[in-house]
Amino acid sequence: MSEAVDTGGSRIHDIGYRRYEGTNLGRLYVARSLYTHGLRSAFGLGRSAKAKIFPWIMVGLLGAFAVVVAAVRAQTGEMIVGYQEFQQVARVIVIIFLAVVAPELVSRDLRNKTLPLYFSRPLRRTDYALAKLAAVISAVFLLVAGPLTIVGAAAAFSVADVSGVWAEVRGLLGGYTMIAVLAVIHGSIALLIASLASKRAFAAGAIAAVFLVLVPIAQIPHELAHGAIGQLSLMISPDGMVDGLQEFLFGKGDANLEPGYRIYYGVGAVALVAAVVTALITRYRKVSL
Amino acid sequence: MPLIETTSLTKAYPGGVTALRDLTLAVEPGVIGLVGANGAGKSTMIKILLGLLEPTEGSVRVLGLDPTVAADEVRARVGYMPEHDCLPPDMIAAEFVTHMARMSGLPPTAARERASEALRHVGLYEERYRPIGGYSTGMKQRVKLAQALVHDPDLLLLDEPTNGLDPAGRDAMLTLITKIGTEFGISVVVCTHLLGEVERICDTLIAIERGHLLRADRVDAMTTGYDVLVVEVTEGTDELIAALRARDLSLTVDGHVLLVRLDAEDTYDTILRTVADLDLPLHRLDQRRHRVAELFADSSTTTTRPEAHHV
Amino acid sequence: MTTPLTVDLRGVSRWYGNVVAVNDITMSLGAGVTGLLGPNGAGKTTLLHMMAGFLAPSKGEVLLGGNPTWRNPDVYRDLGLVAERESVPAHLTGWEFVHASAKLHGLADPAGAARRALELVEMTEAAGRRLGTYSKGMRQRARVAASLVHDPAVLLLDEPFNGMDPRQRAHMMELLHSLGDQGRTILFSSHILEEVEQVSGTVQVIVNGRLAASGDFRKIRRLMTHRPHVFVIRSTDDRRLATALIASPAVTGVSLGAEELTVHAGDYGTFTRALPKVALAEGIRVRQLVPSDESLESVFAYLVSA
Repeated sequence: MSEAVDTGGSRIHDIGYRRYEGTNLGRLYVARSLYTHGLRSAFGLGRSAKAKIFPWIMVGLLGAFAVVVAAVRAQTGEMIVGYQEFQQVARVIVIIFLAVVAPELVSRDLRNKTLPLYFSRPLRRTDYALAKLAAVISAVFLLVAGPLTIVGAAAAFSVADVSGVWAEVRGLLGGYTMIAVLAVIHGSIALLIASLASKRAFAAGAIAAVFLVLVPIAQIPHELAHGAIGQLSLMISPDGMVDGLQEFLFGKGDANLEPGYRIYYGVGAVALVAAVVTALITRYRKVSL
Repeated sequence: MPLIETTSLTKAYPGGVTALRDLTLAVEPGVIGLVGANGAGKSTMIKILLGLLEPTEGSVRVLGLDPTVAADEVRARVGYMPEHDCLPPDMIAAEFVTHMARMSGLPPTAARERASEALRHVGLYEERYRPIGGYSTGMKQRVKLAQALVHDPDLLLLDEPTNGLDPAGRDAMLTLITKIGTEFGISVVVCTHLLGEVERICDTLIAIERGHLLRADRVDAMTTGYDVLVVEVTEGTDELIAALRARDLSLTVDGHVLLVRLDAEDTYDTILRTVADLDLPLHRLDQRRHRVAELFADSSTTTTRPEAHHV
Repeated sequence: MTTPLTVDLRGVSRWYGNVVAVNDITMSLGAGVTGLLGPNGAGKTTLLHMMAGFLAPSKGEVLLGGNPTWRNPDVYRDLGLVAERESVPAHLTGWEFVHASAKLHGLADPAGAARRALELVEMTEAAGRRLGTYSKGMRQRARVAASLVHDPAVLLLDEPFNGMDPRQRAHMMELLHSLGDQGRTILFSSHILEEVEQVSGTVQVIVNGRLAASGDFRKIRRLMTHRPHVFVIRSTDDRRLATALIASPAVTGVSLGAEELTVHAGDYGTFTRALPKVALAEGIRVRQLVPSDESLESVFAYLVSA
């Protein structure tokens, strides 16, 4: 449609197809957009009201707990749960959250067969996998670190002097570190499982199963056996790996490991995450369209 | 510069299936029909064009680029509309197309604007603010087309775009594709089984059979006229036959239709005069044309030697 | 096959609660090939299932050779059905598949019947391979063979050409025609007009559960007298011809395009007789006269919008 103008100034504007002359922002932008999209979708943003219910209930539960911890701290000066221990209490919520969110992030695209639309674009398969991974890790981190920040903020205000505040901040940072560890280990495993199942229900069940079933399998030898087996068996479950890693990083924790064995958890965690991420990338490299 | 060019393109899958064999062709920009090759051949071709599969042998160039080397660049300039269902039912169409625009590298504002325009061009108006799950097949096809168009590609690959559409929907989709190919200036490759569609909207045809190139040619080269006129009257066919023969016209009969050899320009007049003299109702007078379907009508002894066809 | 059988529907309706899938249809199908045409969801599959005795009509009768198809297992001796979506066991060979069907029918000589059926569909050589290795067209033909083992007089096919490429379609069309020529009653459904146009000129058009039209689609078009027929003409002087034609009361409208003239003729009979005379009187040579709304697609569009 071409423009038509008369001498008096009346005109018909051309609203035909326009070519795009603007910029194309490249792979990093695309991956970042996919990451943001995933992160928002994990918390139900940009989706229907129904989609918001679940994640925000999870946030609410942890938030409520955080408020209680903060209140007790303000009243009595005691921390029912320490900064680094907070993530332990949050674990059940995290696992339930992952059982729902990880499938939402990846199983849906598989089920709806949307992947060809992504991969026929400049987005590389590896970018897709890593963006989704970053989204799920960030989601878990925010889920737990947000409430923990409430505890930290309240504590900081209730303390008398600057050095006290600094101590709280250090504790909070330690807490964030452990939450990050939890997010990385649990998030990547959950995402890998979800990427293998196209039905969300199966994926959710598989995630719950893997995380919960492995706990006793890891614990029992730890309780009963002595020597290397008892010390290293906790690595079998993701929870156990996180606990062991906490002792490696901070010297104290729930795992009750002998000091000599802690380093294995450091190495093991890195190896585990590397293996899981590689498997995830391979999964998407190989998926047929 | 040819739009798509292949040289001895071959793709063999492990397990023994050879989807494409020694394909050599070059097609110019325009609307191109890709026909035949049910199953392995056509989807293999699309994936190779998009750089999602590597050829076993031979080479391919799309828009002058090599998808095995510059896949990102190729995909930035190509839009793909898959055959199967691929849309997330719980997303709102406008948001989905915007998201896909961003996935193609468009900045947020441009993504939003172009998504809105793309949806308008494919004919989705208020419906675009509803979740895709509630859409009819026709509307879903349009959303698929919109996401293929949103980043302003130079080439669209449409896989069975009229699949599942009723005649009205099919008509609308074909009109839209023609508009895209002519007004928007975007080349389109349409994969279809329906030769009527090809004759209607395509300039060029690529026919693949059992992995081999059966024919690559312009459609008007394949629908040239014979030196034969088709004449049809709703009554008095026998009288007409006799009268035309009496005037020395040579003709044969095909069902209720006469095929008259076109010897000279005045054959038209002779026919008209004869019909008028006999006061018969003239239903049709037309030059017989070849049809694309003839390519497939032969017996199974047809396997064309794969030769280069530049169209 | 002994004698040709007719499939009769008399005032047949089928509803599911408030959804009326088939609404008061009366039709009669004899030997030869008929296309059952209609948009998606028009009721074609429901109709086929009632003819095949899988569904009871909510009202009316569905008869095969005079006998009701519902709750009448005998009817399967004379009936074969090729349903729309059926997966075939990929590990069986074509022979095994058809042979199994023959045995399921309880035939006296299943091997002989299977052999004959495979010959009918021209699959004797390929029968030794597994179904998993077949192309779509061949799989369909194997299913047709399986439905023919008992030599039925009636064969029903639901969307048999779905997804077939042109060559496969042409082969299937030929097959159906040859079966029809043997005196069988063949009914196939389709929503793709191009397929139907070439197989048979006889159609039954279903729109929203109602039977909109039956017969040869060209004749159906001519029956639509309330719609002016549309013709496209190319001549040596389109404008002068247009002027002369509009003078005739048989013509309701003329429209000049870049290279052709479009005429709307309210009175088909008068116009088709008048055109040659008018052109000759004006000294204009007519190179092309083509009815442009006679295709199955146009007929269909008119019927759907009626």
